[in-house]
Amino acid sequence: MWSYLIRRLAYNIPVYFSILLLVMLALRVRDPVFGRLGKNATQEDITALRAELGLDRPFVYQYGDQVRQVVTFTFDEKSWDYDGQTVGEVLRRCIGPSLAITIPALILTSLLSISVSLVSAWFRGRTLDKSLVFVSVLGMSISFLVYIIFGQYFGAYRLNEYLGKDLFAIYYEPSASNATLGEFVTQVWPKYYLLPVMISVIVAMGYDTRFYRAVMVEESSRDYITTATAKGASHGKIMFVHMLKNALIPIITRVVITIPFLITGSFLLERYFGIPGMGNQLLMAVESGDFPIVQSFTAVFAAIYILSNLLTDVLYALVDPRVRLS
Amino acid sequence: MSTSPATSTAAEVALSVRNLTTSFRTDRGIVTAVEKASFDLHRGEALGLVGESGCGKSVTSKSIMRLLPEHITRYGKDSEVMLGPDNLMGYSGRQMRDIRGNRIAMIFQEPMTALNPVFTVGWQLDEALKYHTKLGRSERKRRVIELLDMVEIPSPEKRYSEFPHQLSGGMRQRVVIAMALACEPEILIADEPTTALDVTIQAQILKLMNDLRERTGTAILLITHDLGVVAQTCDRVVVMYAGQVVEQAPVRELFHNPSHPYTRALLRSIPRSGKKERGKRLATIDGIVPSLTNMPPACRFADRCDCREDRCTAEPPHLVQLNEDRSVRCHFPVHSD
Amino acid sequence: MSDSSANDSRVLRKFLRHKPAVVASVVIAVYGVVAFVLLVVGVITLPDTLKRVGAELQPGLSSERLPEKRLLDCEWLIDRIASLSERRNPEKALAAFSDMGVRRIADVELDELLNRIDLAWESYDELADIEDVTAAAAGTLDDPDVPPPAEVRSMLTELEKRTDALLEPMTKAEKSTRWFELLLGTDRQGRSIFYRAVYSVRVAILIGLVTALLSVTIGTLAGLAAGYFGGWVDNVVTWFYSTFASIPNIVLLILLAFMFDGGHIDGPINKVTGGLLDRLIGGRLDETLIPVYIAFTATFWIGPCRVVRGETMKIKELEYIQAATVMGFGRARILLRHVLPNVTYLMLINFSLLFIGAIKSEVILSFLGLGVKKGPSWGIMISQSKSEVINSFFWQIGTATTFMFFLVLAFNVLSDALQDVLDPKHV
Ligand SMILES: Nc1ncnc2c1ncn2[C@@H]1O[C@H](COP(=O)(O)OP(=O)(O)OP(=O)(O)O)[C@@H](O)[C@H]1O
Ligand code: SF4
Ligand SMILES: [Mg+2]
Repeated sequence: MWSYLIRRLAYNIPVYFSILLLVMLALRVRDPVFGRLGKNATQEDITALRAELGLDRPFVYQYGDQVRQVVTFTFDEKSWDYDGQTVGEVLRRCIGPSLAITIPALILTSLLSISVSLVSAWFRGRTLDKSLVFVSVLGMSISFLVYIIFGQYFGAYRLNEYLGKDLFAIYYEPSASNATLGEFVTQVWPKYYLLPVMISVIVAMGYDTRFYRAVMVEESSRDYITTATAKGASHGKIMFVHMLKNALIPIITRVVITIPFLITGSFLLERYFGIPGMGNQLLMAVESGDFPIVQSFTAVFAAIYILSNLLTDVLYALVDPRVRLS
Repeated sequence: MSTSPATSTAAEVALSVRNLTTSFRTDRGIVTAVEKASFDLHRGEALGLVGESGCGKSVTSKSIMRLLPEHITRYGKDSEVMLGPDNLMGYSGRQMRDIRGNRIAMIFQEPMTALNPVFTVGWQLDEALKYHTKLGRSERKRRVIELLDMVEIPSPEKRYSEFPHQLSGGMRQRVVIAMALACEPEILIADEPTTALDVTIQAQILKLMNDLRERTGTAILLITHDLGVVAQTCDRVVVMYAGQVVEQAPVRELFHNPSHPYTRALLRSIPRSGKKERGKRLATIDGIVPSLTNMPPACRFADRCDCREDRCTAEPPHLVQLNEDRSVRCHFPVHSD
Repeated sequence: MSDSSANDSRVLRKFLRHKPAVVASVVIAVYGVVAFVLLVVGVITLPDTLKRVGAELQPGLSSERLPEKRLLDCEWLIDRIASLSERRNPEKALAAFSDMGVRRIADVELDELLNRIDLAWESYDELADIEDVTAAAAGTLDDPDVPPPAEVRSMLTELEKRTDALLEPMTKAEKSTRWFELLLGTDRQGRSIFYRAVYSVRVAILIGLVTALLSVTIGTLAGLAAGYFGGWVDNVVTWFYSTFASIPNIVLLILLAFMFDGGHIDGPINKVTGGLLDRLIGGRLDETLIPVYIAFTATFWIGPCRVVRGETMKIKELEYIQAATVMGFGRARILLRHVLPNVTYLMLINFSLLFIGAIKSEVILSFLGLGVKKGPSWGIMISQSKSEVINSFFWQIGTATTFMFFLVLAFNVLSDALQDVLDPKHV
């Protein structure tokens, strides 16, 4: 098992460094300093800003420096938008809100859609199954943005109007960022984050349920299921013990596949509800040309993604003896 | 040939299949894979079920245990699978569960896929005992190791905690057999248990099954392509063609004077020359098996039969009892004497 | 696999038996025809989608507007014309108004026009006295001074008639154009929702077609080469797709949008090419859909590449390919004649899936301000309707969503059917 994990690590590390390379090259297609200062900038300003960020050094040095920042997780360059704050400080401030959306969304979506898919597979071919499949295809054909807009309208405006008090906030309020951890969990999260999370779950349910159902149906036609039935195992035992454990392998793959989707979702939700997460921050940085933030945030997103891939590999090894023992 | 006592009508019937009709709902409408199949399985005997690929052997065996996917399978109204006094067709899911693996057990064709890859061999064997016996955990473990030992798996204690992919094909099939025998069933259905294995292992597995039958008196329904295996192992034979039973006879009589033209063609197709060829699948008979969606209205073998007459395409033949233990479905059966 | 023509007709028959798939294909064809007509014949042009066709936020399907709203609309129009007629050079000002596009001012003497304006105001004043016209017309207002509901309604009709008299009567053709313009209502700026939604079909089909074609072509070529040649080719391709696949889609899209934003290629790369790159494309991409195509293709090619590579590696091991290799057929020939036909089904399935991906991603990018920059698209419409929804006006979001829904649904159904028919083993 260890040798397997080390192999996976050895594969992913070079991939990460090449991502970093690609990202840094792409970001230098346009001169970031021009982009920031505009056409009327003086030559001195340009030279000064370029020197500040070390953009005047050979590319190899810049690359090395970025690698150092990622490896040590320092990100000590100064943001151009936030006076006197380093990219690292901005990053640390943004990670929390992003995780507060993505992690609960990921967990809820997976649990719910796996349960629904099991129900669907259990009633395979019957009306309930058919309607679930039908509804999920319909749901998949509507844009994420439409869900968000209606989610806010019904979940916040109309509901608040109906209840006469603000259950879910329509838009984030900056004061919420000062909450302590306790306040965050009991007040801030339910008020500002729960609605976006629910929207995210509803959108993802269609895709995931359909996928998981297909997995369950596929698994249910396997020979070992017939063997187990012939042994006298009950329907429940077969679904929840024999099938589910085998299905964990495609399920884990799926969870990882949904991570980029989840990130996209959190970009939209953060943007729409004004939540100060990493996605929202990256978008603002792109708009204002805050190069240090764009560069480092991209690097962090790629790192998160690679790490989640590695995590999958670990999970595979835990679930599938064929991987563990090879 | 078998050493067990020759079957007589007096032998106790262990399982009786009557008018078994099995249809599937498919994209192309309802197709009937097995039609009005009837045969008896006597206690302690080995009954061979033979026929070309696709003739409905597996569907028949899975119908007996009701293992076919429920949402697309329909059984005929008058179909009966009598186990003792009870008709399994009328059993509830829960009653069926008590039968499966306990009174009727099954061995499958593909040892590579028949075991669940993510559970240990021991766990999977233990499962059968857990459902059907009242043994405690440690007693069950002892019994599982005993079973593994019985099917001649070396170092059973070690294999107990291994996963299926760590075993060879032959060993996996032994595990499947051990699993089937765990609760000492009255009836063992073996659906081509040896096709996927190489010849030496095949012989070992067949011997194993035969030994067990003699020791425990389990009745075996052996489904196979291989007439050589039938000759070696079985007491009686049921021949199926295109979803119907076309002939039933004691093995010796079937081989010496087959009645149905299909059976004769089948026997002719066995390569007689070298013994080496024995393990081979049936050589083909001229013509093709009619498709399920397009069955000839009268005799289903008519297109390929060399004894065909006008009557064969006009009216369907019925299964006719020739003597006490022979029957045939043909207007013009071949008389040997 | 070798008897591919017999196989093809069997597959086709299986496909045709799949009724939802046939319906889906028809739906897609209809969208395709609409897009083609718009592109080539140009029934609805870009200016059509940008001009004002009536009062803002008018509901569609000629559904009953609130009396209050009708009153306001009349007020707006009378007021506009009245103020024009009070200018120092009223004739010229009024003529200019007619240029705004929708309808001309009635072709009468100025005196007569002023007269009609007075009449209209008169009618308006009566109604403006009522506190809540909507309630009055419904008869739910408890005020003895207010005329009965039937009378309020006829007063409204009269007002509209008088207001209408300020404008040139419409010809038959104008009337029907108008009917279409207002069919699904108007947005916040009084633009025709119907026109915008239909025009967006063009944008959607263009984006879908171009990106799906490009991605599938690039992905398939890379996948074929990697799978077939193996060795360093495989290493390079695998390196590229692992790298691209390890940046979350949205981040890559944002990155690419950042690259093209403002359009000037003035970084070090430009120096390397001696300024050529910037002169060629700098500043020209912004108005087109090209940045969107590039961004989508850069992320979408990975899917087809991965599956085609896997399939090619499997096919390469097949006996007849091995035999062809041994017999000395050229590698290119084997690739094109034997391997390519066996991966076309993957190309088809991927094309369909990526088409959906492109249409949906367009909405997201447009919302983030990185997508379509000029003219309408469903994404732009949905993003704009954000503020309308808060005012409980659903015509724009509803229309854009519905238009998109049927196209995406059709592709979803088609993808499923293709998978069923062409790749039954697929989960
Ligand atoms: N689930 C199903 N749905 C539809 N048709 C089925 C299904 N299972 C079996 N059949 C059809 O029933 C017929 C009999 O199949 P069966 O598996 O019993 O054949 P067999 O005699 O066991 O053949 P083989 O020797 O190849 O195992 C075949 O034509 C098959 O296509
Ligand atoms: S009934 Fe006729 S066609 Fe059928 S098997 Fe007998 S002889 Fe042949
Ligand atoms: Mg079979």
